[in-house]
Amino acid sequence: MTRFLVIIISVLLFYMEPIFGLFSPIQLDGEFYYLVPRFLIMYLLFLAIYYDRKRAMWYGLFFGLLYDVFFIDIIGLYSFIYPLMCLMASFIAKYVHQHLIVTTILTLLFVAVVELLLFLFYTFIGIKSMTYADFIEVRLIPTMIANSVFILMFGWAFKYILLNRFNQKALKLQK
Amino acid sequence: MPQFFSNKRLILLLVGMIFLVALISFSLRDRDHASLPEQLIKDVVGFGQAVFSKPTHYVTGAFDNVESILNTYDENQRLKARLVDYASLQADVNDLAIENKELRTILDKKEDLREFDPIHATVIARNPDQWEEKIIIDKGEIHGVKKNMAVMISEGLVGKVILTTPYTSTIELLSTQNPNYRVSAVIADQQEVFGLIEGYDEKRKELVLKRIDSDFEVKKGQKVTSSGLGGIFPKGILIGEVTEVTTDDYGLTKLAYVKPAADFFILDHVIIAKRSISAIDGTDGDNTGKDLTETVEEGP
Repeated sequence: MTRFLVIIISVLLFYMEPIFGLFSPIQLDGEFYYLVPRFLIMYLLFLAIYYDRKRAMWYGLFFGLLYDVFFIDIIGLYSFIYPLMCLMASFIAKYVHQHLIVTTILTLLFVAVVELLLFLFYTFIGIKSMTYADFIEVRLIPTMIANSVFILMFGWAFKYILLNRFNQKALKLQK
Repeated sequence: MPQFFSNKRLILLLVGMIFLVALISFSLRDRDHASLPEQLIKDVVGFGQAVFSKPTHYVTGAFDNVESILNTYDENQRLKARLVDYASLQADVNDLAIENKELRTILDKKEDLREFDPIHATVIARNPDQWEEKIIIDKGEIHGVKKNMAVMISEGLVGKVILTTPYTSTIELLSTQNPNYRVSAVIADQQEVFGLIEGYDEKRKELVLKRIDSDFEVKKGQKVTSSGLGGIFPKGILIGEVTEVTTDDYGLTKLAYVKPAADFFILDHVIIAKRSISAIDGTDGDNTGKDLTETVEEGP
C-alpha cells in the first residue's frame, strides 16, 4: 500500500500544481505577486532525503519531462533541474541531522535555488526581462511564503510515509 | 569528505550537460510546432489535468457565487440606474441590426468579418511557473481549433492560440512579452482609426497600441476592438479602452495605452472565435500572407 502511495502522491502533486497556479498572481495594492507552486519538487527532495536518492532522481526526470513538454515547450529544463536538485539534496542530507525542521529548511532553500536558476535561464534566453530586485520582491518572496505554508502543513506526512516505506523495504531486505 | 565527483559521475554529468544544451536549443528553435511524441504526451497529461481541474472550477465557482450574493444589493442599485439607458440602447441596436440586414440583402453581400463560430472551452491549467503567460484548454484540432485563432471571454479578447494538439491547445495571453505577438486593432468612434496591438507594459498593466496614423485624433476613453483585417481574428471583439495617447519613439505615429477589458488573471472558461469568412495568415499570425482557407473551412 505504502509502495503505491509514494507514486500516487507525486502524481497528485504534479496535477495540483497547475490548479494552484490558476489562483496566482494575486493583487495587493495594485502590485501583482506571483505564487509559484513547487509542491512536486519539495516532495521529491523529501523522497531523496528520507527514502531513496536514485528513485527520487528517476521521478524527477520523468515528471520534469512531462512538465517541460506539457507546459513550457522547452525540453530539458525541468527534466535537468529536478534530478540535479534531488542529487544535491541527498548529498547535503548526509552531513546534516535529518530532523524534520532541518529537512524543511533545506527543501525551501532548494526551492529558492530552483527559482533562481529558472530566473537566470529565462532572462538569458530573453523571454522575460526582470531586475533582480523585482524578481526577489514580486516572485521569490511570495513563492517562498506560499511553499513554506504547504511544506509546514504536509512535511510531517511526507516524512511519515517515506520513512514507513523505507523501513518496509529495509525489513524486506533483511529477510 | 568523500569525492563528490568520481570519474564516472563527472562523465555522466558532462554528457548530461551537453545533451541538455542540445535538447534546449532544439526545442527553443521550434517551439510553435509539437512533434508527434510531444502531442501524445500533451494529450495524455491534458486528459489527466482536465479530470483534476474540472471539479476545482465547481469549487471556485461556488465561492464566486457566494461573493456575488454578498454584492447583490450594491450591484442592483447601480444596474437599476443604468437600466433606462440600456432599454433605449437596445432599441437602437435592434433597429440598426435590422437595417444592416436589409441593406445586406439589397447588396447581396453574405459574408461578414464579424461572424464567427464560437468554440467553448475550459481552462485546464495555467503554466504553473508563470514565467510565460500561457494557459492550456481542453479543446484541440479535433474540435476545430487552429493556430492563431482569437481567444476571448465575455468581457473581451484575452489571447490567441499558439499551439494545438488533437485534444488540447495552448493559448498565449495578451499580457505576454513576446515581441512577435501582434493583433490588428481599430478604434471606432466617429471614424475608424487602425493600429496594431504590440506589446504589454508590465508596469502599467496595459496593452500598447502602436502605429496609429498621426492625422487621426485619438481620445482617452475610446474603445478598442479587433479590426478583422489581421486575417484570422473576427472583427469587433472588444480589446479595451484607451487610457493615454502619446507619440511613438520616432514621432511619426501615435501610440496609445489600452487598458484591457478582460481580466487575464482569473480565467476558467474561454471562447475561441473561429471566423466564418476565409482566413489569411496576416498580421494576426506569422504575416506570411498565405491563404489558410482550405485548412480553416472544415465541418458542415
